[in-house]
Amino acid sequence: MKKIDPLATTITKTICPLCSFGCEFGVVFDDFGVKGVEYLKDGSSGGRLCPRGSAAAFYLNHPRRLSMPMKNGKAVDWSKVLKELKKVIEKPQNVAITFDRNITLEEYMAIVGFCKAVGIENIASTYFEPETFLKTFLNTPFAIDEINDAEVIIVLGDPFNQAPMSSKELINWKLSNRKNRLVVIDSINTHTAGFASDFLKVVVGTEPLLLFALAQENIGGIDIPATTGVVASVINDISKSFKEAQNGFIFASLPFGHTYDPLLVTEGLSRLSNFSGKKVVPFVEFSGFDGNQHFGSIMNLAKKKKIKHLINFGELFPFYYPQVFKSMKALNIYATSTMKYNGFTTLPVALNLEKAGTVITTFGKKNLSGNIKPASGARTVNEILTLFKEDYAEGAPLKAPKFKINVKERAAKVVEKSKIKKKKIFTLVGEKIAFNFLAFFEDEKVKMNPLDAVELGIKPNDTVSVRSKHRNIDLCAKLTGDVSRGVVAVPAETPAVKGLFDFEIDGVNNTINFIPTKVEIWRKG
Amino acid sequence: MAKRIILDLDLCCGCRSCEAACKAAFKGEARIRHGEITGEAYLPLACKHCKEPLCLAACPVDAITRDEETGLVTRSSFLCIGCKSCVHACPFGVIDAPLVRHVAQKCTLCKDREDGPRCVVACSSGALQFLSEEEIEQYEIGMRMVSKDLFFRRRS
Repeated sequence: MKKIDPLATTITKTICPLCSFGCEFGVVFDDFGVKGVEYLKDGSSGGRLCPRGSAAAFYLNHPRRLSMPMKNGKAVDWSKVLKELKKVIEKPQNVAITFDRNITLEEYMAIVGFCKAVGIENIASTYFEPETFLKTFLNTPFAIDEINDAEVIIVLGDPFNQAPMSSKELINWKLSNRKNRLVVIDSINTHTAGFASDFLKVVVGTEPLLLFALAQENIGGIDIPATTGVVASVINDISKSFKEAQNGFIFASLPFGHTYDPLLVTEGLSRLSNFSGKKVVPFVEFSGFDGNQHFGSIMNLAKKKKIKHLINFGELFPFYYPQVFKSMKALNIYATSTMKYNGFTTLPVALNLEKAGTVITTFGKKNLSGNIKPASGARTVNEILTLFKEDYAEGAPLKAPKFKINVKERAAKVVEKSKIKKKKIFTLVGEKIAFNFLAFFEDEKVKMNPLDAVELGIKPNDTVSVRSKHRNIDLCAKLTGDVSRGVVAVPAETPAVKGLFDFEIDGVNNTINFIPTKVEIWRKG
Repeated sequence: MAKRIILDLDLCCGCRSCEAACKAAFKGEARIRHGEITGEAYLPLACKHCKEPLCLAACPVDAITRDEETGLVTRSSFLCIGCKSCVHACPFGVIDAPLVRHVAQKCTLCKDREDGPRCVVACSSGALQFLSEEEIEQYEIGMRMVSKDLFFRRRS
């Protein structure tokens, strides 16, 4: 019998799969599982690791880790599920295959090849985070050292939380020369905004309009300074200095539920890039992959009852977007997952930390190490596909339909949405806080303006109820001037919080957009 | 030579990597705390390992001791009775007593680790440094903030 030595530990070197930087770190195992994380000074990041990296390893043997297929909350045998699924794919016209962000390039190719071999024609991505629109800017890899020669950098959002490893280079660049100008655009005061030479605090959701204004474009006579809340002289000054600067960059990070029209943001970034001749650098966690259609088309097919089954690869959908799933109740959903969730049929799948493969990032292609073996019971996507069908060839990457953007029409809609203000109704915006990663270290807190809190009798750290039209949850209140009056912000990390947000189906492109949402708030108890 | 954790406020980006590293190492009980001056600054607060520690003086059971050679102030979890005297005595508010175990948490500068404290190594922006007293005197900490660019820090 194997003797257990409680003090014996091994360190397995691996690469963090959670953002573009791909920091190297060690996972410390003892005889009972994951003991901790080791920060490797000889690693690619010199031991530096953000809160998400520190938490990532603990999901390897999380108490809720799925190790058996489950159907409606009950464990079932693999053979039983496979028999059911094989029957489902016998009629490929009734099936849609989707995948979310947690797959590698190799797994994506395998899924596409599998669909071709089986004859499934409806393939789409369920990666609904707004950063998925930024992948158009990932064509040319970027090295963080490139910023050393920059004179002006325009930052959209909060990269210090989206990718904290960017902070060292960006702060050092800012401190190295007093003339270096860091312009931050956001609707809430963030960590990145704290370091800005110019912080352009815009009205919630109106970021895209400001980008057009910085590109000196007139969209349908919209009064952009009045709509965004940024003075015209400031816009013109920044626009001029950005165009005249020899070197500069546009950094973009888009949190969940933060802006009314992420697609218009993408267009605004392109226009600003063309106007200034500067490169757009998206800080994305995952690039995501394309299907042959956008997810809205799958939803339409489901509504018309043209498809009956949906099989999702990855680990997020449908748990992370319950409001989207609600409108598709007629569908029979099978999903691979790493965690236990009641409802649906779930198959245990490997975490990205347990895979070898390629992912596409801001800095080009990144190879996952695969040094850690999948947890007991979990299988990789390729293994699961092989269980369905033994012989299939890898497919070629698919292309989703190109986006059609009517700027004037979309901009008018953004203006309309930004004007709706009702008493006692708040606008909920999502933000990215690295420390709140999946609420592992700390639960999400809702940020609100102290003046609003006084009116509602809310004190710091009170429990408040937040109700949107989708659900009602209790959160701890954090009072801060970082958010404007009438606005509340929350890190959208868990399904409970993500489930609060409204979504829209883009009627033209069939994409899913999560937008700032109207909510009611009151003190509990 | 005694070494200390030093915070360069100019570089701190408020990502709380330090707190996460500490929590991950000590089963969710961070020994580095995070102060926040709303809209102005984020302050990781680590134990200063004082030369004349008030927590040591306040401890009724001598659970806290100071190593004269390394300057390390440590707490024996075996002796600690969870009275929270040290929590109240610490002028920096860096000692915490979790409600579950009722035993005070105290930074040990990760003495189990050769490369120094985890919070310093993990720091994503390089704001935390682990320096000897000589090195601290040479380090230009605060210089940028105080003399070079008065308006650099966060503006609410």
